[in-house]
Amino acid sequence: MILDTFEALAMVSAIFAILILGTTHLRTNLSFYSLHTMAIAAVTAWIANITHEDHLYLVAAGVFIIKSWGIPWYLNSVIKKINIGTDGGAFIAAPLSMHLGALMLGLSFMISQQIPGLIGEPDSRLGSTAAMSILFTGVLLMLTRRAAISQIVGFLVIENGIYLFAVTQTHGMPLMIEMGLLLEVLVAVMVAGLLLFNIKKSFEHIDVSQLTELKD
Amino acid sequence: MNDLLYIIALPATLAILSLFIKDVKLTRKLVPVLIWWQLGIVALVLHPCLLGNEHMQFISGLAVDKMGTYFILLATFVVSCCITHADYFFAAAEANGDAYGDQQLRLFYASVNLFLLAMTSVFLCDNLGYLWIAIEATTLSSAPLVYFERNKFALEATWKYLIVCSVGIAFALLGTVFIFAASQRGTLAVPTLNISELISQAQTLNFPLLRLGFIFCLIGYGTKAGIFPLHTWLPDAHAESPAPASAMLSGSLLNCALFGIWKVSSIINAAQPHSHVHQLVAILGTITVVAASLLLLRQHNFKRLWAYSSIENVGLMVFAIGLGSGPLFFLQALNHSLAKVALFLLTGNIIQASGTKKLNKMHGVIEDCPIWALLVTLATFAVTGAPPFGAFVAEMSMLSLSMSDGRWVLALIMTVAIAISFVAICAHMGKVILGPAKQGFKKFQPVRASIIPAVLVFGTLVLGLVVNTEAWSGPWSMIK
Repeated sequence: MILDTFEALAMVSAIFAILILGTTHLRTNLSFYSLHTMAIAAVTAWIANITHEDHLYLVAAGVFIIKSWGIPWYLNSVIKKINIGTDGGAFIAAPLSMHLGALMLGLSFMISQQIPGLIGEPDSRLGSTAAMSILFTGVLLMLTRRAAISQIVGFLVIENGIYLFAVTQTHGMPLMIEMGLLLEVLVAVMVAGLLLFNIKKSFEHIDVSQLTELKD
Repeated sequence: MNDLLYIIALPATLAILSLFIKDVKLTRKLVPVLIWWQLGIVALVLHPCLLGNEHMQFISGLAVDKMGTYFILLATFVVSCCITHADYFFAAAEANGDAYGDQQLRLFYASVNLFLLAMTSVFLCDNLGYLWIAIEATTLSSAPLVYFERNKFALEATWKYLIVCSVGIAFALLGTVFIFAASQRGTLAVPTLNISELISQAQTLNFPLLRLGFIFCLIGYGTKAGIFPLHTWLPDAHAESPAPASAMLSGSLLNCALFGIWKVSSIINAAQPHSHVHQLVAILGTITVVAASLLLLRQHNFKRLWAYSSIENVGLMVFAIGLGSGPLFFLQALNHSLAKVALFLLTGNIIQASGTKKLNKMHGVIEDCPIWALLVTLATFAVTGAPPFGAFVAEMSMLSLSMSDGRWVLALIMTVAIAISFVAICAHMGKVILGPAKQGFKKFQPVRASIIPAVLVFGTLVLGLVVNTEAWSGPWSMIK
């Protein structure tokens, strides 16, 4: 199998996503997230190069500036202000969940063949494998981590997976929509960051598994 | 293009203005008046769609049809009612001794206007991508409304609301990508996300991908609408936000998510009428109604009771979507919005007056404040679908339509579940309304607080009496 450059890049981004699972140190998590998103921006630019769809360059620039610089920078400053260094405790130990993530990558490779309608496009199989693996990684992050900030990172990783899927399978959605999505994610992270301050202030922790006051 | 500006200009301006007007008392009076004015503007601009079966295109990807117009008017109407009542609500809170800060109120009014703007744009979208963006924008703009009380409970509710809805909606985005891929892998020349193009070219789409996309969109928007196992955020958010905000969430936000499901399901219905996937929607609606009716039996919190009743009504609306009946979907949404907004506003009054949200500590509203007791009773009957209110007509037509479609098992289960929820809600409300008086209601202004709910209850009563079932249950007779 000959690996296209963009497929190799997509795989790199999937591997960085799995590395996020491997540590509970929040700043390292954010650095890995940043690298993972940079790889995705590179995939976008490379696909723009292949398909000559110029609007994808703009999208790639947007992803690079907003998602791989802006958001990690903002979240880093939030972490610094609320003074929390590590995720209090994952439900599944970090090394184990990293191995689970690797297993998911294999699973995604198998599933990517099963998606009806995508068969017959062999060139996009690895792209969708990487996208799906990133999606699973994000879900795993959200399920196994307790700190509120890891939940935000998990959401961002899921969103990246969906974005990568769109880029590799459909060569990007229309420009207006992509830009709208970027803006939306940015606003969502900022709102969540503000809430995070308040959670820390009123509860003195950011452990979401302890937010169980409300029930029937 | 100009028409579009007319529709969105006022809420956008108000959102900014309410942040900067120094005197919050002025904002509290000004915003309601202008939002009612906005209702007039929307009705005026969109009247061609309202009367005829026309289709108004603003720019590529933004268009509105008859159903969208109805929903925009409904959402604007709900927001006007709630924001008018909010002035009273804040005055009563001040009288009660827990006044809210000026900054808090400014943010509230700014968010309400952004929220209205986001909801209006949901119904203007003719593009699945824009639709997704608009629906996510409704989540973000309403998060400050849920966090209004600034306490631990509100914080927890807001966090859950934001995370659960955002992740849920992310799956709808995946579904949107699949539908885009379906238009690419089909025989369509130009891939598109334009809903009306997708519907008109539905036969040429790649069906397996479309089906996959539909299921993801159903899960995603279903989370936002509160379909059964994905409803967890809904009772928390509805119970912890202040009464006018709960009323807006229940009366207009849920409609936005359901409108998204409706749009996607009309694509799949055009591609393959009576497919199994579409059957799934009706089944999901039934499951939601059954689950909500059972959960309604054991409620201890006044506002959570209405939140679960909203879930039940969402189930009914999803059922109507599953039957493929747009008119019935709208009729149910309209009646639910009117009755539920009245209920949430009245419940807010009663909670403020009695100082507790717990159902078992409430009694004797009928002696303390007969007019509230009367209105709450009427609104309760209206929301549970008792005759002669509008919801009865909608539910009856839905059941008979599903019978004539041959889905009598679903209709039967639905009937039993509606009956259970009726009994459950009436049992809870009986304890609240009857019994010895609590006193302490005197300092509130019962008449002023009853105007808006009374109008709403009267509205749903009129609907129940005048609506012609024939016109509403026919396929597409009224709404294109």
